[in-house]
Formats: sequence, structure tokens, C-alpha cells
Amino acid sequence: MNLDFTPEDELFRAEARDWLNENVPRAQRPPEGQAMREFDLAWQRRQFNGGWAGVSWPVEYGGRGLSLTEQLIWYEEYARAGGPSSELLFVGCNHAAPTIMARGTQAQKDYHLPRILRGEVAWCQGFSEPNNGSDLGGLRCRAEIDGDHLVVNGSKIWTSGAHLADWQELLVRTDPAAPKHKGISWVICDMRSPGIELRPILIMTAPGHHHFNQVFYTDVRIPLSNVVGEVNDGWNVAMSTLGFERGTASMSEQIRYGAILEKLIEIARERFGKQVLEYDEIGARLAQLRAETQAVRAMTYTTASRVARGSLGSEASITRAFVSQLQQRIRRIAVDVIGPDSIELPDVDPWIRPYLRSYSNTIAAGTSEIQRNIIGERVLGLPR
Amino acid sequence: MDLLPTEEQQQIIDTLRGKLLNAAPVERLRPDRHGQVGNPDSELWPQLAELGFLGLGIAEEHGGIGLTAVEEALVFREFGRALVSLGILGITLGSHLVAGHDSSLLTAILGGEPVGIASPRGPTTSGTKISGSFHLLDAADARHVVVILPEGVGLVERTAFSEVDGRMSMDSNTILQRGKLDLVAPLFWSPAASEMVHTRAILLLSAYAVGMAEAVLAMAVDYAKVREQFGKPIGSFQAVKHKCADMAIAAEVASCQVAFASIIVAKGEREAVYQAHAAKIVAVDAALKNAAQNIQVHGAFGFTAEADAHIYVKRSHVVDFLAGDLREQRAALIRTITPPN
Repeated sequence: MNLDFTPEDELFRAEARDWLNENVPRAQRPPEGQAMREFDLAWQRRQFNGGWAGVSWPVEYGGRGLSLTEQLIWYEEYARAGGPSSELLFVGCNHAAPTIMARGTQAQKDYHLPRILRGEVAWCQGFSEPNNGSDLGGLRCRAEIDGDHLVVNGSKIWTSGAHLADWQELLVRTDPAAPKHKGISWVICDMRSPGIELRPILIMTAPGHHHFNQVFYTDVRIPLSNVVGEVNDGWNVAMSTLGFERGTASMSEQIRYGAILEKLIEIARERFGKQVLEYDEIGARLAQLRAETQAVRAMTYTTASRVARGSLGSEASITRAFVSQLQQRIRRIAVDVIGPDSIELPDVDPWIRPYLRSYSNTIAAGTSEIQRNIIGERVLGLPR
Repeated sequence: MDLLPTEEQQQIIDTLRGKLLNAAPVERLRPDRHGQVGNPDSELWPQLAELGFLGLGIAEEHGGIGLTAVEEALVFREFGRALVSLGILGITLGSHLVAGHDSSLLTAILGGEPVGIASPRGPTTSGTKISGSFHLLDAADARHVVVILPEGVGLVERTAFSEVDGRMSMDSNTILQRGKLDLVAPLFWSPAASEMVHTRAILLLSAYAVGMAEAVLAMAVDYAKVREQFGKPIGSFQAVKHKCADMAIAAEVASCQVAFASIIVAKGEREAVYQAHAAKIVAVDAALKNAAQNIQVHGAFGFTAEADAHIYVKRSHVVDFLAGDLREQRAALIRTITPPN
């Protein structure tokens, strides 16, 4: 067991730090809309032009093909430099691209991967449906084969950024007669296709905050050449993507929260006084959060160690379940640290919208309950 | 960078785990074996000495094995898993205090001579002389006692304590006494501010707590797989499954942090103090919560004397109070101005 980085790693760290310090956008990231899209794409282009886009992507797809240790260093430095979250590009960079790399055709790779990497396009995810959220395998959005096209009819919901996306990773039922996990296909859907309609769904963070959508598909024609993997093998294709989301992709998020917590501790010291905080209830909670945030760093290093040894199993679901709740508690304590003024909703708002937004942490991308099922069944071997 | 045990470290773990399964199965603490009151583990010390598990972190030049806090933390997990008497902490800290100062005493301790622990019952004073009222743990048959204070760790003769008075312990396998020190100069003293013994104590208690948190997780999961109600194993019900998942999360969080902290302590870096406090917070939290959940998963059986579940609850409380309880650990952590990163 050791925490030593090689001289090459340290050199890489210094380069990453220098570049990030000079290039991380200083402007506040717009919270929504076209302005947010432009911000995220511009930052992605900047990273691409600087040679820092896709640090974890294989070289053959235009990435740097770095080791997991170097990715970890990049994420640490990214968080340390205050790099923005680029949430809108998450699906493209961390879902769609790895899926296409793993299961896509050469033509799909050639067309989509460079556009994602260069910051030209945003993707959204069409998985959840009005009647199928946690029970994803029961999805019903239909697609029938008509010549060399699929014809899609149905609806998807909770589609973050559908109104800002160019492409969508879409799960459709292509064989209604097959057992539920065996009749699904994973397709690339052009969001400008005729027959797609969006209904904005406002979220609880602030009046008028348009974050996700219900998407309706009426006779939407998608070329069969847009199917990733085999027709009816979409469940397996999707599982490889979800595994990725629950594994290493959230590393930088985990590290970023350390800085958020430290800012809150600073505010608490000013408001309550250093001495008071030591044996105060808020002080004890902040200390607990500090210990747990540090532990997340240790967990992240452990994950990296397991990957390096080729022994990463379902343990990653433990980290994800823990981190989503920890982030929620960090956001929650902001209200108590700030005190009465936290019932105000200022325009420049580092705390309240993020706090309200954190209610989704334990719902999106697999609820905490689903995460616990996975831990119980796959890690602990409890019966279904 | 690698946070997993090396092959050699895994061998140490496996050897000790095998040894303890045979020589110290948790059943030894059940009422019908050695009696619920009392502690059979001083018989273990010479056996552990023979296998080289005492003095693991003591330099070879002083007669130890010459390994580090990393290996010590790994074996303390196993001690916690098997609920080995906390006298093992007395021996380990005692050997660090005397190493390089008193070779004949070190030889005796590394040979398995018991060393007790003293922990403050309230405010104490230290410096060149220690005063205060203490709990003595597993110290009745010891010549020496390790005193763990906020300011440092010292070694005193057991006879230095006055008004020694036996007490029944909530953790009835821990032999408990009260005793007083009145301006007693310790034989050896390691200040927390400049040396590592105090930090090592916090780390090893954390490791012990991780072992307990993992042990009760395994107990609960094993039981949930076989105990049936409504015609199904109770582990198939989400109410139970999710409890077990929460226990697994708590144990993993603590395990990773203790491993991380042990490496920093082994390096002797200043950051070690912060990392050890963080480790004790998450580890004791995990041990206390998991031990409680384990009783709940076992139902009424978990509430009985012959289920081993209750001993983990009680030992977790004892471990919490040694070298500063959760309240003190949290105060210490929030006192730190800038955390390492």
C-alpha cells in the first residue's frame, strides 16, 4: 500500500495545473438555457484545442489515452482549479461516447466521437418513461422496422437538456413479444427529426427553471444504421453505459465537493466564531462531513487501485450511493450555515439553487433504493 | 499509488485471521465458555509474540519486525474482527513508548507481557507529571499501563495508581477498574504535538473499529440469507436488504479512510493527525451504527446474551471513548484551519 506518484505523474500534474490555472473560465456558468449550452461547448472546445479533452479517451479516438492514475490527477487538478461542471456535456462525453467506442460501428465512431470531443454537440438521454423509471427494463416506447428505418412512437420523460441537445441516446422496444430485457434496442436519435415534440418540465429549484422535458415521438424515422450494437441487444449496451456512470466518471464531482465544503466552513467560522464551532452542533456536522469527504478521496483512490489491478467489481456502486447522499448533506448544511438569509433567492446564488437541486442526487441515474438493491444483491449476495 | 494490500501484507492478514479463527473465535466470549465476565485473551499474547505479530511496527534494531503503521493497522482490523482484548493496544503502544529507551522492558512486552490501558474519566493534567481519575482497562495482571491523554501518551507502573477499585464494565469481557494518578511522572512520555504515538493510537483504534464494522456486516448478511419469514429469506426484503447495504457502505467508507490514513501515519507526515481524526470519526461511526443494525437484523435472537451481536455494540462504545470520543474527534477536525488535499 502506498500513496506515491511517479515522477512522470508529478510532471503531468504540474502541466495540468499550469494549463488549468490559465484556462479555466472565470465567468460564472449560466444556470440554464442556450447561454449554458454555449458556455459548456466553448469550454469543451478550449480543452480540446489545448489538448486536454478526453484525457481518458483512447488515443485512436482522439483522446490522450491516459492511465487511470493520470485521470485521477487531472480530475484533482480540475477540481482544485475550480473547473466548471459541464453538466450538459456529461451524457455525450461519459455515456454516449464510451458506448459508441465499445459497441458502435466504424461509421458511428467516425461521425460522432470527434464531434463530441471537439465540443460541437450536446447529447441527452432517452431512458426513463412515464411508467418506467426504476423499472427501466419494462420500457414501452415502440420502434418498428420499416425498410432500412426504425419508426418510433411513444414518450420519454425526465430528459435533462433535451431542449439543448443535438443527439439522444434512446432506448426503444423493438420486440414486444420477447422477454422484457431482450426486446430493447439502443439507438442514436437526431433531436431535429420530424415528429419529435418537447414538453418542458419545470423543476423545483426556482420559478421557471427549465431543466428537463417530456419527449413525444410520433412516427419518428431513425435509420437502422443508427442502432448501436445489435437490434434487441440494447439492454446489454445500456448496462455497459450505466456501469460507467456508476464507476469512475463521477470522480471529479467527488473531489469538487471538498472545495464546496471548505467554503461553507469558512462562512461558518465567520458567522459563529472559531471557538464556538468546536463543540457546536453545526461544527460537529461540518467535521463529520469533512471526515466523510476525505474518506471519499480514499474511496476514489481505492477504486483507481482496483481498476489498476483489474479487480473492480460492483463496489463502485457503494461509492456512488455514498457520494450522492454526502453531496446532498453538504448542500443541506449550507442552509444552516448561512442562516436566515438562506430563505432569499439571490441572482448570483452559490448555495440555495444547488441545495434545492441536490434533492435529485438520490433519484437521478438510479435512485438510492435501486443502488441499495444493487449493493445488497451484487456485492453482498443477498437473494432477490 | 495503490491502496490495496500487497501480496506480503495480504499474507500477514491471512495468517493472523487464520490464527484468530482457531485461537480466538468470537464464541470464546459466550456465557457457556469462559463465562460472560472476564477476559481469556492474555493467553493469546505469547502465541502472537511467537508468530511475530507483536512488535510488527518496531524497528528491527530495537528487536521488532521493522514494518510500519500500515501493517499495524491491517492487523488491528483483524483484532477488532475477533474482538481481541484491547490489551493488544496497551502492548502495541507500550512497545512504541519504550523502544530505544528500555530494551529489557521492550523484550518482556514483545514476549507477551500484558500492558494495560488508562483512559481519563474527566479532566486531567499532564506535562512532566500526570494527575486525574482514570479507567483502567485489562490492566489487572499488568506491570505497566499506557495512559492515553489528549496531550500525549505515557507509560506508568500500575502501582502508581491509587484508590484502584474494580468495576463491572458494560463490556463485560473488558476487565475494568477505576484508579487515580496524583502528580505521577510517567516512565516514558510521547507528546501528541511532536510525536506519532498518540496519532498511532487513534489510527489503530480506527482500524480495530473497521474490523468490528466488517464483522457485524458479515454476521448480518449471513443471517439474512438463511433466516426465513413469510416463506422467504429475510434478506430478500428491501427493509432488511437496504439495512445491510447501508452497513456495507459505512464499512467501505471507513475501511478506505483507515487504509489511506495508515499510509500517511507510516510516513510520519504532519497531515497524519488530520487523517487519523477523520479515520476515527468514520470508523467509530461505522462500528456503532453497524453493531446496532446487526442486532436489529437478528431480531429477538440479536438481543440475547448468546448471540455475539451485543459484544460488538459494547466494545464499539469502549473504543469510542479511547483517545477521544466522536465529540472530541469532531472538535479536533473542525479546529484544523486548512485540511490537506
